[in-house]
Amino acid sequence: MITQIAQPIVEVHDLTVSYHRKPVLWGVDLTLPQGALVGVMGPNGAGKSTLIKAIMGLLPLQSGFVKLFDQDLNQVRSRVSYVPQRESVDWDFPVSVFDVVLMGRYGKLGLFQRPRQSDKEIALDSLRKVGMEGFQNRQISQLSGGQQQRVFLARALAQKADLYFMDEPFTGVDAATENAIVELLREIKEQGKTVIVVHHDLQTAKEYFDWIVFLNLHLVASGKTEDVFTAELLHETYGGKLSVLSELATLLRKNEYPSRE
Amino acid sequence: MFAFWTILVASLTAVTCALLGCYLVLRKMAMVSDAISHSILPGILVAFFITGSRDSTAMLIGAGFLGLLTTIIIEFLHRKGNLQSDAAIGVTFTALFALGVILVSAFAEQIDLDTDCVLYGEIAYTPLDVWLLGGTTNMGPKAVWTMTILLLMVLLFIYLGYKELLLTSFDSAFASAIGLRTMLWHYLLVGAVSMTTVAAFESVGAILVVALLICPAATAYLLSSRLPVMLGLATCFGVFLAISGYYLAVWIDGSIAGAMSTMAGVLFVVALGVSKVIKSNS
Repeated sequence: MITQIAQPIVEVHDLTVSYHRKPVLWGVDLTLPQGALVGVMGPNGAGKSTLIKAIMGLLPLQSGFVKLFDQDLNQVRSRVSYVPQRESVDWDFPVSVFDVVLMGRYGKLGLFQRPRQSDKEIALDSLRKVGMEGFQNRQISQLSGGQQQRVFLARALAQKADLYFMDEPFTGVDAATENAIVELLREIKEQGKTVIVVHHDLQTAKEYFDWIVFLNLHLVASGKTEDVFTAELLHETYGGKLSVLSELATLLRKNEYPSRE
Repeated sequence: MFAFWTILVASLTAVTCALLGCYLVLRKMAMVSDAISHSILPGILVAFFITGSRDSTAMLIGAGFLGLLTTIIIEFLHRKGNLQSDAAIGVTFTALFALGVILVSAFAEQIDLDTDCVLYGEIAYTPLDVWLLGGTTNMGPKAVWTMTILLLMVLLFIYLGYKELLLTSFDSAFASAIGLRTMLWHYLLVGAVSMTTVAAFESVGAILVVALLICPAATAYLLSSRLPVMLGLATCFGVFLAISGYYLAVWIDGSIAGAMSTMAGVLFVVALGVSKVIKSNS
């Protein structure tokens, strides 16, 4: 079940990505609507992060192309924000919370140009939105996992983008942070912006997202949550992963999905 | 006067190395500096064969080129060759260094460049090699001029590229995502390290230059929570190494470069102790 839409904000065509000649993502044809909160889901190693890295031009494509806002990425970089996985950076790096958030403004600055007063104000404002204004002078090594994720989110907010890609923002964060992040993502969506989140918790997916993309090396499904979150498609995506399957059974019972036996 | 010039050359070298070293430490490229310091040897020799002189400009360019080539080969072996990065570093620099050793041994008579000097350097001789303007006016040791120019270039590089160097070091995926050319900054840094390494050659030699690149930066890393503080501390440590190393060498009547590197090790151990005490108290 793959819903394609007219005038997509993200268009991925025939995308194949390989690591050392082994394809890790095959022939993905995907269109995503504007103003949606999209969850990219699938088992470990399904190519979820690979998909958004490929869209952001961080990995070489073996085939296919990607269009954002119907344009090439290079033409719209300033409208796109990317939040890498928290573990991808060294949190012992000698920078303060404020320094990291200010990096969100670098894309708007020319070569050799220093951050202006207005950039600093935007960075502070972004910190306020994630409830971290009291931590601005802390070194990032003194933060908890949830606080680190909030800092990354503040940096993304400082970019003032229209399209956000977030790689597992809910991994290793406390419940309070998870709720705060979800609230923020909804706020962003309310402004007509689009947020695409790599996520692997099936329990919360249905509640968080209004559009879901199921991946397992190839594109299994993409569509509105109520159309896609079905036993059949879940099985097709996670099939064979036993631990996930048992989890799935409880989940389906809880949600009273129609049995298809 | 001799002590003054020696300490000045040593300080300029140590500070230039320390500043670049901060970025190497933060980018986890400390071993790359080791690789560069060895593999630029054939570059120096080839530059010598082509120009026929020990003119430092040609050697700087030759070494800079080899430094870049080294990192390109390492990247290639790591990415395309599917080799771990430490293995890629090990293969590359030993092979290039061996090539340099063959060149030195095969053409030793024609070259006024002996292996001991390349490997260990002799900073005590640098004040004797003066720059005579118009053949008469004494402008001071050549090494002072070379290192001053290099230090100014490195300062300018860090000043102008501060935010790009910071972001590509901290989060290269994010840097690429906003359109920064991360590989360009990587190679600019490597180029600067190669040129500094060769300029530091005649003072401290190929092996000890690694100590100057990494030790002050690693020491500063332990004690700072901000990059500007780290750069500042590393600079101070560089000057401290030059002065304390010189007097240690005079006292024991030994190698100045060796004494400086030993002081670098001592300083690091002290800083490690201090940072442990600070952490356990907080």
